[in-house]
Amino acid sequence: MRHDPAMGAQPHDWTRRSALGLLPTLGLAACARSRAPEPLKFWAMSYEGDYSPMLMPAFTAATGILVDVQSLPATAAHEKLLTAQAGGAMPDVLMLYTGWVQEFATIAAIAPVPSPAMVADLFPGVLDATRVGGRDFAVPWSVAPQVQFYRRDILARAGYPEPAGDWDGWLRMGHAIKRQRPDDFVFMLLLNWPDMLMTMLGQTGATMLRDHDTRGNFQTPEARAAFAYYARIFAEGLAPKALSTEIQDPVAAFAQGYFAIWPTGPTTMLDLHRRAAEIPAERWATARLAGPHGVGAVSGLSTSLCVSASTPRPAEAWALVRHLSSPASELRYQTMIGNLPARLSAWTSPQLRAPILAPFKAQMRFPATAPKVIEWERIKLEIQFAAERVVRNVQTIPQALAGLDTRVDQLLAKRRALVEAGTLA
Amino acid sequence: MTRQERAAWLFSAPVLAIIALVFVLPTALAMALSVTDYSIYALADWANLRFVGLGNFIDLFSTPLFWRAIGNTALFALLGVPIAIGASLAVALLLNDATVRWKPLWRVLLFAPDVTSIVATAVVWRFLFNERSGLINRALATVGAAPVDWLGNPHTSIPAILIFVTWKIFGYNMIVFTAALSAVPQDLMEAARLDGAGHWGRFRHVTLPAIGPTLLLAAVMSVAGFLQIFAEPYVMTLGGPAQSTTTILYFMFDEGFKWWNLGQASAVAFVLFLMILALTMFQTWIGRRYEWL
Repeated sequence: MRHDPAMGAQPHDWTRRSALGLLPTLGLAACARSRAPEPLKFWAMSYEGDYSPMLMPAFTAATGILVDVQSLPATAAHEKLLTAQAGGAMPDVLMLYTGWVQEFATIAAIAPVPSPAMVADLFPGVLDATRVGGRDFAVPWSVAPQVQFYRRDILARAGYPEPAGDWDGWLRMGHAIKRQRPDDFVFMLLLNWPDMLMTMLGQTGATMLRDHDTRGNFQTPEARAAFAYYARIFAEGLAPKALSTEIQDPVAAFAQGYFAIWPTGPTTMLDLHRRAAEIPAERWATARLAGPHGVGAVSGLSTSLCVSASTPRPAEAWALVRHLSSPASELRYQTMIGNLPARLSAWTSPQLRAPILAPFKAQMRFPATAPKVIEWERIKLEIQFAAERVVRNVQTIPQALAGLDTRVDQLLAKRRALVEAGTLA
Repeated sequence: MTRQERAAWLFSAPVLAIIALVFVLPTALAMALSVTDYSIYALADWANLRFVGLGNFIDLFSTPLFWRAIGNTALFALLGVPIAIGASLAVALLLNDATVRWKPLWRVLLFAPDVTSIVATAVVWRFLFNERSGLINRALATVGAAPVDWLGNPHTSIPAILIFVTWKIFGYNMIVFTAALSAVPQDLMEAARLDGAGHWGRFRHVTLPAIGPTLLLAAVMSVAGFLQIFAEPYVMTLGGPAQSTTTILYFMFDEGFKWWNLGQASAVAFVLFLMILALTMFQTWIGRRYEWL
């Protein structure tokens, strides 16, 4: 449109241009008006993320605060959270696997718990993992020790009313089952999931790091014993040499009897209940994991709730943490996804007296402890890679452990430098 | 500066500015990062950042997994480029034959995998490759072959992923070759036929020289593509089994984004950049030698 000088002479005449000029004002007005409730952002992984929205109506009803839940896939959560922290895009409240709390506290991504009352009434031992430099940085949400889920029918046919509780017994039972079902396997130990191997290393008493946790310490009889036992299970054909990407549907595989013993955490109960048509409840049960000389401490994927250090609304964020970690919410969550409450007082509920939960309850008092270094998550995976190389006959155990020491020394180089310089305790 | 030059600069300025902002600047920053020990400790406190010179590169070259990743990537490229280009060319030649009917339909069908989502197709192919219930092993069983643990055996994982990648990407080059083949001079083809040249002779001396530049372009693009292979192993095998499908880019992703060792990851990026540059220069040299460029 050509500009008409006659129009320009009339100061208050509406033209397309002046109308467009008002658009930014409109935008500002919109911002001003929507100052009302912006939802709190909450990120959680896995089933916790998928089902969290169901815990929110009660919170919104009580406080008037809306919550926007984002569910992260567990396999990509670590990098997503680090990227969010680096990019200044952290949510207000987030779930962390308890093993990650140390790391995120160190990079100042999460805020310390404001009141000791929030971390009272918890299972002993749970709190140690979330305490960094003498301060609590997270409110433990659920405790998820691994237990063995087992197929009652398959074990009974092999003459075992319940699974063996020690390592030798585990192998004997494995062979008894394998004799009856030579085309299937007995144990389900995914070659890229480190939890079982971590438990074994803990149970043989391997101290995996030395010199103030600045060097690898894997060339020890304890680490060798754990690696040897782990590798033996595969070498004797009792477990499939498979990654999680290959066992696409572990529940179906368990239902079909592809394996009879599945060391995994409490949320597996949700999977099994959901698919009761394939695997009726009377066909499976739970028991504590076998150790070298009977049951012992076990590692697991416990979860904690944290508040971002950069949230502009800390009071509301902590209110959400308080709501989610209340015994009532934790019990509600237990019914929904099988997660076990971290609050001691929740355990007086009759809901938690089901026999299927008894092994978890007994196991919860014995969590395995992991070295408190921020590289631990990565070292765990390196240990699992080393074990995979042994299982696949790429390396012998001494080679793998020596390689592991070198690799871990390399990963801890920066930490070592900082400890030697006195920057890091 | 003449008026014309000024106009030229004015017109190219926006593009140059964008290139400087999104290409030159990040590359320079990445190079700067590669001589620091930027890691999660630096994310915690900038005071922990140190200049390490070539330290990252020395570290990198003493990491067995890095060499493993280079080996895996080289294997992907060495096997993948000829297989993918060969498949594209073969199908393009078939489709170019005068006796083939419904050509547009075939082109669409064969091109379709290239535009589908890589994650969705990778998940489907994971089912196809399943050792016990996969379609591929069932097909092998009908001809009496033993089942292959495609994605679970460190020796078959790369070939398995290559089968998937070839299926996924050959359609693109097929279309490019189809276009190039339509430009092959028919009179020359007729003359060669009259002179008694067979199928192979005509392909070697008439078709190939005509599509040479296109072939070179496809090779350059494929080499660059295969050296940067990432999504396929990430979705199908997570770099396993026994890290047999961990590629350079996968290694870099793990270092940089999963563990936040951006110093080390930038060093990997720099090495990868040099590798692709060297290979492309080599290919250009070959192209010049055969007068394709």
